[in-house]
Formats: sequence, structure tokens, C-alpha cells
Amino acid sequence: MSTENVYSIGKPDGEIDNDILRPVESFPTKLWWIAFALATTAMLVMWGIIGYSFKVGLGILGINNPVAWGFYIINFVFWVGIGHAGTLISAILYLFRQRWRTSINRAAEAMTIFAVMTAALFPLIHLGRPWMVFFIFPYPNERGPIWTNFKSPLLWDVFAIGTYFSVSLVFWYMGLVPDIATMRDRLTNMEPKTKLGKFLLGIKKITVRIMAIGWVGSAKTWLHYEKMVMVLAALSTPLVLSVHSIVSMDFATSVIPGWHATIFPPYFVAGAIYSGFAMVMTIMIISREVFQLKSYITMKHLENMALVILLTGMMVSFAYTIEFVVAAYSGNGVEQYVFKNRMGILDHASPYAWSFWIMFTCNVVSPHFMWFKKLRTNITVLFIISIVVNIGMWFERYVIVVTSLHRDYLPSSWDLYIPTWADYGVLIGAFGWFFFWYLLFVRALPSIAIAEVKADEAGDKLAKGFGH
Amino acid sequence: MVSFSEIKKGLFRYEEAVGGWVATIKSAADLLKAAEKVKEAGVKKFDCFSPFPIHGLEKAMGLSRSWVPFITLIFGLSGGVIGFLLMTWIETSDWPVLHGGKPLWAWPAFIPITFELTILFGAFSTVGVTLYLGRLGKISRKPVVNSITSDGFAVWIGDSIGKDEIAKMLDGLYDEIIETPDPERS
Repeated sequence: MSTENVYSIGKPDGEIDNDILRPVESFPTKLWWIAFALATTAMLVMWGIIGYSFKVGLGILGINNPVAWGFYIINFVFWVGIGHAGTLISAILYLFRQRWRTSINRAAEAMTIFAVMTAALFPLIHLGRPWMVFFIFPYPNERGPIWTNFKSPLLWDVFAIGTYFSVSLVFWYMGLVPDIATMRDRLTNMEPKTKLGKFLLGIKKITVRIMAIGWVGSAKTWLHYEKMVMVLAALSTPLVLSVHSIVSMDFATSVIPGWHATIFPPYFVAGAIYSGFAMVMTIMIISREVFQLKSYITMKHLENMALVILLTGMMVSFAYTIEFVVAAYSGNGVEQYVFKNRMGILDHASPYAWSFWIMFTCNVVSPHFMWFKKLRTNITVLFIISIVVNIGMWFERYVIVVTSLHRDYLPSSWDLYIPTWADYGVLIGAFGWFFFWYLLFVRALPSIAIAEVKADEAGDKLAKGFGH
Repeated sequence: MVSFSEIKKGLFRYEEAVGGWVATIKSAADLLKAAEKVKEAGVKKFDCFSPFPIHGLEKAMGLSRSWVPFITLIFGLSGGVIGFLLMTWIETSDWPVLHGGKPLWAWPAFIPITFELTILFGAFSTVGVTLYLGRLGKISRKPVVNSITSDGFAVWIGDSIGKDEIAKMLDGLYDEIIETPDPERS
């Protein structure tokens, strides 16, 4: 094995602390305040619309009969999908000993948590009577006992999303503990000048002390801790695959043509990783610029992510093709009609063919630029493609939800889906809600796993020293 | 595969670094050598501190394998079994409702929730047992040297042996040997 590692940072441990903790230990920049103000405004608009919908009902949305699922469910599937890349990086790439995950895994895991928080909003606000939400939790009650329907994929979703969120959260927090201890011990050297500074530092010291749960870096703790990381990674791997599989079963177990397909679980998982990596790419390109972390998140990291996007993009394209082949081969006229309608090759109008072609261009065509080394090492190209892919993946869910529903079995019940101002407001506000949390995170906690970076660096040195 | 008796024989407990001496070490490689030397000298109460996990340190210190995964297995399996049995009881006797022409005991439909509960119980028990075995949660605890969480390494020796003896034991590997600071110091 070569002793030179392309991912080596080659800085002493103390300097790594300084680099990674700089955004946490300094005052926010103007750029951060502008971004935070924008995100918060969008978020407040969303909460306003949601509050209004609680008062007057879901009639303010564009949903109708037969298109009873609209932007809310599209957003739900989109945001759950975004989260998947974080777990892939923190769990699956960990088990495969992929060294390049170290620099990006903390931020990607944070992205997972905030994306799942965004996703979980949508089924909740899509309930006609959201204050009855406790009905979805199975617990002994005075109502009968009335239990939930355990045979329903919608309830499987409750368990899948609930488990996914809580396990990701503890995994992320436990990963943070050694780094929070680093923050705690650095705070002891800080000398505030003003009274207010002293007060704020006092609060910060107490918070960080509690969050570090008494971590002192004992080898006996590290031993159990390392085992725990391994076990949680091994548990999260099937978990993340199950989550989007179960989300896909919300569609696949129904009898709607265009939804009732056995390929849905792997198709959704591949799509989730595809869009999630695109989102990680977008965020990483911005944060390495803004926080001067270019020696930690290098071109090589971005290139690897580009290759994952290329691979999963082709898997998604393959799934699209299979769907069409299966429809063509099925001998089922209704199924064939749905797919012809998607592409717009019927002898009458297909009102949503444009959404299919947007999806096709963004998801099937755009990843192939990544074959060329020149393009996948160009930041501008990567940034544009990462956003294009996510537009495409949003439209994929739009195609699945809307085109399948708007043409019912009975032509007399056909209808169009026209989103309203409330739909668009919540769509944009959801991004605000996500970035509100993400921006707070990059200011409050180390966005690169410090202890893991140091362990990798030391691994390089030890390998050199012992000559193996 | 390690046998259960082997694990039981080598069980170790977390010990608070109270009393005795702390030797600060320069690098991870030196810490590995120092741990080996302390173990060979037959010191009973000792611990190593580092800012990151060091591969092979548990061997150098003579620590046995962690039994965190066994707890995961037990709790994970029981989570799945409890979930499956609960759903069976609810769907067949407490609240038997026919859904979509499926039989009351439609066990394949219980698999997703059984799976999720296996993961949920397994993951939370893993974290819980790690917190317990690593004695985390005592927020008043302080590191033996402040640089431990940044770039420092140290060995704590709790046996009642003299400073000179430790200096001889760790010949050339240590930076300085200090009295263990009070972990509750402010």
C-alpha cells in the first residue's frame, strides 16, 4: 500500500481544529446574515400559509378529485430522497472504508436530518384535520381501543420515517460528541472583553459542556464508541434502503396505473441517492468557498460525488426505461395509455407531457456530462448540474404523482391539476425551512468531523512509521 | 469469532482518572508504545487519552473486545419480536378488522414495521450501552490535560508507584509527568 494518500491534509491537529472551528468561533459574516434572513422570510411565509390552511382547510391548494395528491406529496417524496445521500455517506461509504467520506459526512448527515424534518412536515399538513395527528400512533387508548391499520403502507411510512429520523439524529449527535468536547476545551482559553461577551460566553460554555456529556477521550470509551459507530452504520445501511422502498410502496401497493409497479422500491432508492448527492454537491460547493475549507473538501471529493451522480443517474434512467418496457409488454391498455400520455405521443392532448420531458432532460441527459474529466473537475459545471439534477428529480415526483392521477379509469372524472399560490408558497418556504436549520448548524457546530479527520491523518503517519 | 468465556475473562471497566500520575505523550505512535510498556510492567489501573481513536491501542493496552454488538443483537431481535407479536395480537384479537380482503393475520404486511422496530431498538440500545460502558453523561468531568481534545496524548497511571518508576517505564516516550489533576476542578 502506498503511504501517500491523496486525501491527506498534512496539517498538524491543532491547525485542523482552527480551520474547522473558525466559522463556529467567529461572528457571522454579512453574507450569512443575508442568507439567513432570506431563509427565515421564506420559512415564515410557509408557516403563514400552513396556519391559514389549518383555519380554512385544504381548499386553498390545487388538489382536486381525481388529483388528490399534489405539491405536498411531491415535496414529501423529494425531501425524503434528499436525506438519503447523507446516510449513504455516513453509513454505507463508512462500511466500504471510503476515505473521502470523512470530510463531507458531518455536513451530509446534518442535511439528512434537516431534509427529513422538512419531509415530515408534508404528510402532517396534508391531513385534513392535522390536530388529529396523534391518531396515527398506535398506543392503547380510550377510543375503543381503536388501533391503526398495520397493513397500510401509510402507517409503514410513519414507522420508517420516525425510525429514520430518530436513528439519524442520535448517530449524528454521537458523532459530534468528541468534537463538541474539543469546542468545550477551547472555550476555556477565551477571554471576553465586555460584560455582554462574558454573559454570552458563559451560556455557551454551559451548553457546550452539557452537550459534550463528559467526553475526555479515554481509550476505554473510544473502544466502545468505535464499535457503536460501526454498529450504527451497519443498522443504518438497511434502514436507509428500507425508507425510500416504503415510501415507494405508498404508490406501488395501490392500483393506479403508472404506480402499480414492482420496480418502484429500487427505482426510488436510486433516485433518492441521485438527488441527495446532487444536494450535497450544491451545499459543499458553497460551503467550501464561504468557509475556506478547500483543503478539506478538495476537487477529488467533488469528482467522486460527480461519479456517484453519474452512476445513480444511469440507474434512474434504466428504471425509467424498464417502466416503459414493462408497460409495452404488459398487454394492459390502461397501463400503456398512461405511459403514452406521459410522453405526449397520443392522438389527443397530453397536458403534462412537458413535465416528463423536463424530467427526462434533467435526469437522463445531464449526468452524462460527468463522463468527461474536464467537465467534472469544473466547479461551475458541477454546480449547474447539481441544481439541474434536483430540478429533474422534483419533476420526476411531479410526473409520478400528477400524470398518473389526472387520467382516471373513467374519462368522465378526468381533471387537470393547477397548483395555487399556496402550493408555490409552501414549495419555496420548505427550502427556507431547510436552509434556516442548515445555516444555524454551520454556525453552531463543526461541519467537518474533526476527530475523524485527525484519525485518518494519524493513520497515514502510523502507516509510514511502521512501514506497512 | 471470540468465545463468550474469552470476553468475560478480559472484561474491563471504565475508571475515572483520579489520583496517581499523568504522563503526557507526543504522538499517537508513542502512545501505542507507552501503552504496551505500561501493560508489560503489570500496572493495573491505567488509561490512555487521545483526541481520536487509535487503531491497535486496545491491543496495546490489553483491553478485550467491546460487547456493544451483543446488546444490539439482543435488543434488536426483541424489538422485532415484540413488534410482530403486538401487531399479531391487535390484528387478530384486540381489534380485528378486515382490510382490503386480506386475512386478519396478514403477516407479510407486518414485515416492514417489524423491520423498522428491529432497527429502532437495536440502534437506541447501542447508543444507550455505549453511554453506560463509556461512562458518558458525567458533564462535570474534565480531561486530564486540556490539549487531549485537540492534539495531546496522555497515559494515566492510578497504581501507587513513584514518579521515577514511571519515568523509567516510559523511557523517552513521555513529555512530562504530572500529578493527576482533580477531575472536578473548575
